[in-house]
Amino acid sequence: MKPEEIRKKTNKIDRELLVLLQERMGLALRSKKFKETLSDPQQENDMLARAERLNLDLIKSTFTRRLLKTIIEETKRLQDEDRSLAAFQGEHGAYGEVAARRLVPDGAYIPCLEFIDVFRGVEDGYFDLGVVPVENSLEGAVTQVNDLLTTTDLNVIGEVKVAVSHCLLATEATDYREIRQVFSHPQALAQCRNFLMRNKLESRPYYDTAGAAKMLARENPRAAAAIASSLCAELYDLEIIKEGIEDGPSNSTRFLLLAREPHPDNGDKTSIIFAVTHEAGRLYAVLKLFADAEINLTRIASMPLRSDPGNYSFFLDFEGSDKNEKVAAVLKEMEGLTKWMKYLGSYPADKAVS
Amino acid sequence: MKNLKLVAREIKKGTVVKVADVEIGRDFVVIAGPCSVESEKQILDTAWAVKAAGADMLRGGAFKPRTSPYSFQGLAIQGLKMLEKAKKETGLPIVTEVVDPRDVSWVAEFADVLQIGTRNMQNFSLLKEVGSSGRPVLLKRGMHSTLEEWLNCAEYILSEGNPDVILCERGIRTFETYTRNTLDLSAVPAIKELSHLPIMIDPTHSTGRISLIASMSMAAVAAGADGMIVEVHHKPQEALCDADQALTPDMFANMMSRLRPLKSFFNNLPSASTGKRKLTEVRQK
Repeated sequence: MKPEEIRKKTNKIDRELLVLLQERMGLALRSKKFKETLSDPQQENDMLARAERLNLDLIKSTFTRRLLKTIIEETKRLQDEDRSLAAFQGEHGAYGEVAARRLVPDGAYIPCLEFIDVFRGVEDGYFDLGVVPVENSLEGAVTQVNDLLTTTDLNVIGEVKVAVSHCLLATEATDYREIRQVFSHPQALAQCRNFLMRNKLESRPYYDTAGAAKMLARENPRAAAAIASSLCAELYDLEIIKEGIEDGPSNSTRFLLLAREPHPDNGDKTSIIFAVTHEAGRLYAVLKLFADAEINLTRIASMPLRSDPGNYSFFLDFEGSDKNEKVAAVLKEMEGLTKWMKYLGSYPADKAVS
Repeated sequence: MKNLKLVAREIKKGTVVKVADVEIGRDFVVIAGPCSVESEKQILDTAWAVKAAGADMLRGGAFKPRTSPYSFQGLAIQGLKMLEKAKKETGLPIVTEVVDPRDVSWVAEFADVLQIGTRNMQNFSLLKEVGSSGRPVLLKRGMHSTLEEWLNCAEYILSEGNPDVILCERGIRTFETYTRNTLDLSAVPAIKELSHLPIMIDPTHSTGRISLIASMSMAAVAAGADGMIVEVHHKPQEALCDADQALTPDMFANMMSRLRPLKSFFNNLPSASTGKRKLTEVRQK
């Protein structure tokens, strides 16, 4: 091995150590939600003893003990910090995490496999907050999430619009001229179709954009790249070959911030869901209330009711807080006109969401 | 000239190459910037300086075809990213050289105009590749090429379906050693007779002397050139390549303040009688 190669490998190992530590800290924060007492000396001693029994000739047991103790101390310090656990769907680096970082600046960001894991986790108190996408400017409503908003009991306490800007990422050792295949979520690949064609690159569908970046970093397949967020480049130590490779004008996704408790202050935007009976003029009567009260609607979307085929639920976002008299009056009147109604929350509007 | 099916004057009036708001073939277009991209600060500072002085586009090399393999070879894709950033900040479109057919599609992702350098004028596989890149091409004249050879190279690019070629006279080898090359200014009106493609001049590489750049630029305006490409560095003494021939931003600004009025003066002159008799003789040959 040449000195240069040795240095590169050492650097790579250092980065992997840190990534693993980060993962460990995340788990420790999650365990906090289960534990009654934070420190468990007996368990710690067992762990240290087991680690010392590992027969590693280059690592002395005294060093092992010192190192692990340092890690345990740092873990405790972190647990005392009381960071909010914000869950999102996808791997680290997913656009959901980009949104979570904007909505919860000092949080600990916890990846979940499915949207339902985010909802259930917040409901059951394993996470403090959840961040979920509701609609994309190109693809429309995220039906799974809208469905879960209808059936679960969480409050919306914030929103953010994240511009989806795709990057072509590769490991540092990859020569861009040798890239032949590109891994990513089918939707991201579709949004970058012209770019891929221009550069004669083959699309390789993968379950997730961030998952593709993670795989690239871990397995380093030959002649491969991934399409994902620029956050993934930082998290998985990948090179950004080109930013903004999407074909059309950049699309954006609106995310909601979910919590068990409603937003404490007066927000300036409110979200509700309702259903009306199948009678002429019912929906109109509801919308008329808003028109008469001069309340501006910012979103209206309909979705089939899973529990009641043939009927629809309507998602309504409008300007103003439920603490506003005009809004409160409309909401009260609505109760008489709708078959079913659910108040999601009033929250500060993201100025970027038109 | 035989075999010129697409670039010959007879085909059309005058090609206008549009790059964002810049129209090459209509206005006198000035492309300025450093020989090579060296750092983000260097390219940003220079970009703002040339923009302030009235440049229309930014040049800067990321891939450098150097005479010696030991000279600075350019920052490659890192350089392209810096150019992209400079474009984002200043709004100046980017002109940059491509030297390897395998790089063409990638350089085209970052640049607005692809430059083919003098040493690659007859690199036919490269010409075919830029011909299908979908980007305008600035084709420099080979330092020992005739006009016919040069126009045939443009023909290669057009035959691949790319109509947007800008020719650039950058000096040819002669026995003179005081100047780096000899700027063949007669190429400007000659090309106008022979082809519909726009033609620029490069006063930097043709003279290799700072003191001659402004004069030759004025002469190019008088000769009817469609623009020029000139090297400007925010700190020429620190440049990693061609340090002795880059203008400072001040020199460039001064030159520009004299060029623009000269151009409007020429615009207002009565149109020249077009040496028609001579032209028919040329065609007969």
